[in-house]
Amino acid sequence: MLATLRSLRSRTLQPLKLGYLNSHRSISSSSSSDKLGFLDLQEVETILNDVKADDVKVIPVNQHCDWTDFMVIATGRSTWHVRNIAQALIHKAGSFTSILPISIIHLQVKQKQKGAERILLPSVQGHEGGKWIVIDSGKIIIHTLDENARAYYNLESLWTQKASSKEDDQEELYREFRL
Amino acid sequence: MIQPQTYLNVADNSGARKLMCIRIIGASNRRYAHIGDVIVAVIKEAVPHMPLQRSEVIRAVIVRTCKELKRENGMIIQYDDNAAVVIDQEGNPKGTRVFGAIARELRQLNFTKIVSLAPEVL
Repeated sequence: MLATLRSLRSRTLQPLKLGYLNSHRSISSSSSSDKLGFLDLQEVETILNDVKADDVKVIPVNQHCDWTDFMVIATGRSTWHVRNIAQALIHKAGSFTSILPISIIHLQVKQKQKGAERILLPSVQGHEGGKWIVIDSGKIIIHTLDENARAYYNLESLWTQKASSKEDDQEELYREFRL
Repeated sequence: MIQPQTYLNVADNSGARKLMCIRIIGASNRRYAHIGDVIVAVIKEAVPHMPLQRSEVIRAVIVRTCKELKRENGMIIQYDDNAAVVIDQEGNPKGTRVFGAIARELRQLNFTKIVSLAPEVL
């Protein structure tokens, strides 16, 4: 009886979960497959090293949320530094195409001209304030914060806690299924 | 469908509990606000000993509405309450955590900060 139940569970649950995962993968891969203007994790790390961002943390979150794969958190020393980190990342994203990236504004103007290649730049939020800038590059989301904001929002604790709690929930669910 | 005089719950730990919408930001004579719109609101109820006080005027982003939200694929999302997250002029959330489920449309509307603080994204 138990064995049949177990086999039933594995048959019914597995395809469901796989289907869900596949749909998620297809969404994220379709956004990254065209590659234009999107950032790689390694590139992000090298850029953050180059611009001397402090305390860089990469948190893989693909297990417990389906809207992104990686969160990168970095600290800047001042609002200027935070803005410069963001600027460097966008500059890199823009330079994937052959257009000479003189400035972002220039790129955006060029984008609208006839014959220019259309690129999809990552969205940037909070550039005016310079306390917390988010660069949303599809699979990778980069948070650049100043020290006060990082301590205030405490993003890494939020995401690492969430990871453990969700896994516990899943384990409990499996245990209940087995019983 | 949020309009001036609508009461909203607060979906973060900023210290406000109830808001009343007094203005919708966008066009000059806009009637209703939906998920992802910024409103000007007044705090009607607040938690004691927190930075936000009663009768303060703040900005907030609507994150849940009783009016259903339709997606292109035919999915309809309808919440049980109207709720908003308090933000400042720069768009940073005042609270550090967001409660409840949040629609992923907010990410397209450039509120990735709120989405990344939320526990669940629909």
